[in-house]
Amino acid sequence: MDRRQFLATGALSALALAGCAGDPSDPTDTATGDPGPGGEDTPTSAPTATLASTVPSPADTATPERPDGIYVQTFRERMSMQGSAESGDYAFALMFTVPHRFWTVTGNEFSTTRIAEADSFHLMAAVWDPETETVLPETGLSVEITRDDALVSQEVIYPMLSQPMGFHYGGNFGLDGDGSYTVTLSVGGTSIRRTGAFAGRFGDPASVEIPLEFTEATREEVATRPFDRGGEPGALRPMDAAFPQAVAPAESTLPGTVRGRATSDDARFVVTTLAESPTGVEAPGPYLAVSVRTRYNGYVLPAMALDATLSRGDETVFEGPLRRTLDPDLGYHYGAAVDDIEPGDELTLSVATVPQVARHEGYETAFREMDDVTVSL
Amino acid sequence: MDLGDETLSRREFAKAAVALGGATGLSACLDRLATDPGTATAAAPRGDPDTRPDRQHAWREHVRRDDHGNSLLPRHQVLLYLTLDRDGPPTNADRETVASALATLDRAYAWDHDALLYSVAYSPAYFDRFDADLPASVNLPGPRRLSDFEEPTFDTQDVLVHLASDRPDILLEAEGALVGDTSVANGVAVDARLTDVATVDSRRTGFVGAGLPAANQDAAGVPDSMPVPEASPLFMGFEAGFRGNQATEDYVTIDEGPFAGGTTKAVANLRQRLADWYDEQTFDERVAEMFSPAHAEQGLVEGVGDNLGADSGIDQFIQDVPAQAREAGRVGHAQKAARANRDAEGNVRLLRRHFESTDDIGSDQNVASLHFPSLQRDITAFEEVRRAMNGVDVTQATPAVRQRVNNGILEYIFVRRRGNFLVPPRRHRALPSPRPE
Repeated sequence: MDRRQFLATGALSALALAGCAGDPSDPTDTATGDPGPGGEDTPTSAPTATLASTVPSPADTATPERPDGIYVQTFRERMSMQGSAESGDYAFALMFTVPHRFWTVTGNEFSTTRIAEADSFHLMAAVWDPETETVLPETGLSVEITRDDALVSQEVIYPMLSQPMGFHYGGNFGLDGDGSYTVTLSVGGTSIRRTGAFAGRFGDPASVEIPLEFTEATREEVATRPFDRGGEPGALRPMDAAFPQAVAPAESTLPGTVRGRATSDDARFVVTTLAESPTGVEAPGPYLAVSVRTRYNGYVLPAMALDATLSRGDETVFEGPLRRTLDPDLGYHYGAAVDDIEPGDELTLSVATVPQVARHEGYETAFREMDDVTVSL
Repeated sequence: MDLGDETLSRREFAKAAVALGGATGLSACLDRLATDPGTATAAAPRGDPDTRPDRQHAWREHVRRDDHGNSLLPRHQVLLYLTLDRDGPPTNADRETVASALATLDRAYAWDHDALLYSVAYSPAYFDRFDADLPASVNLPGPRRLSDFEEPTFDTQDVLVHLASDRPDILLEAEGALVGDTSVANGVAVDARLTDVATVDSRRTGFVGAGLPAANQDAAGVPDSMPVPEASPLFMGFEAGFRGNQATEDYVTIDEGPFAGGTTKAVANLRQRLADWYDEQTFDERVAEMFSPAHAEQGLVEGVGDNLGADSGIDQFIQDVPAQAREAGRVGHAQKAARANRDAEGNVRLLRRHFESTDDIGSDQNVASLHFPSLQRDITAFEEVRRAMNGVDVTQATPAVRQRVNNGILEYIFVRRRGNFLVPPRRHRALPSPRPE
């Protein structure tokens, strides 16, 4: 391994603070950062970023005081786009950045994955439907890395949320030095419910091979450097990327009637109702859908256990779990058919299991103590 | 690995010699045995063809047992996948050649773990060579994908020969007699070989039993921390195949039709990736994922699990597995599979005979893998148990259990090959037709 520091030289122009301009889908969110960093991405000579170095990368530094909820991560970063490919129902993209510390979740327990000395990079994969550009946020993804047909690594990688890089499947990997590698990305067929035009799709596995160059040149494409507004409430904006982001539909584009919204530990719940359940839902009747997204960037928050109680006066009209569902119009959401819904009904949403998505810095303090929320429909 | 390296332990050497195979492996084996006072060099016990059991899978009475009566499979094993050279059905002359090659082994070696246990099995592709179909008493579908995430290559060669012995020298000599250039096997002249009518398409090797995985853990997939316990028969650190959790040979035997006395055999090869298994998980977490969360909470497993005796106790924890998983945030491998691995009377349906390997099929790298032969009366039984192991219902019950994460051991195993075979009774073991007389 060529252990070297390199200079962060390129523009970080894709990065900006979300929150400063508010969340377009969220009129109640006021700016939390200041307009700051948009134009400050000038080249710097500070040798701050490290890749496969024993010096802790900014991606592994401790933040002294973390607020509750989402906070701006303490470093800025770039990634190297390696390639994309399609197979079956799926499109894939492969990227990498510097090794990252991240937090995994099992049930309601969090565990820190630290950067290991042998880690060369943080590998990231995105998977989406090329027809609708809908990101698949809850499936299995595994990675095999070979070099000259020899196995270098193979792992199941985890769904993750990062402020600038968005929702991805990721993990830290060690390589055998500089050179050309082949990465096979394998997606599993999903077992979550699919509705509408998605019914019957995404049930089979598929794999693609994407070449990966790990060289001085590609390492120079990735860099991190400290960000002095790190730690404030807010989030870096999504970076411009050549693949779709798992951003939940804006309220104005959700089908049906948007009935209300609520926030719990910086997760925003948008409740919409449809007069008829989409195809793929076994029960007939009106459909209750809850779209859950991160504050600021509006990233989909998948893989929760979400229970709902719908009351009308003293009467309980519906009580039960909402099912994790992928729909081309509603996006990834939690839904159930209910007998009927009337204006004035009270909907209580209770999170039995917080989003089982690993978190990059700035998200590990959010969506983990999620109080019940009630929305008047 | 240099087989002449005298610093290799006996266990490393034996595994390496079997993996290398051929005349070189055998000759290195004999050289080493001749100079290693700790190793048996006695001639193998000769066989008596007339005393052989009719079932080729009758191994249980002929292998070692531990103190609890659990079977200890032969330490060294070879799988030979062969393809017939001829198109169409085999001829009577082909059949006589195969019968003669197998008869040589029967005369040369006793039916015993200290000599040689073996079986010859045939694939659905082999039976497709004939116009006639297999009888209804044999259910032998072709291999297929059994989870939403695996994409294995299917083994569709005609013939699978499975050789097993505690002695690597005997194993290699017997293999040489079948498909190599051994001219005299344990004093018996070799006058016919399988390779007279077929070609070896794939040769796979492996080992099982306390000490061997620990001695051979310097393989990709096992972390550098050398975590495999000396007492473990398998790379993952636990005993498996407890007597109470295995089908009997009687149970898996086809009981009617021309192939009565035979069985079906599903064989998978799985790559193992154990860095996170060992380095990111505690012992209790490994127990929870291998057996059940309750096994961990109640401290039921000590060390490699020898304290479990003759039964893992998994049947206590197979009711409402999704509810247990919702509570624990993870689910055990054994508890998922066991749900489908019992018949209405509670009998176990599968007889698993898996063993470890460092084969990386298609390359010469040392990569931790598992050869997983399973015997059952009917391939469908295997498919049902394998699907239960996917735990799809559990992933729907709690998002904490994902397709392959917190879902038993699915995060650590990658299926690469799968094939289905019929193990005929001994009387039909030589290139049978689908409707033998």
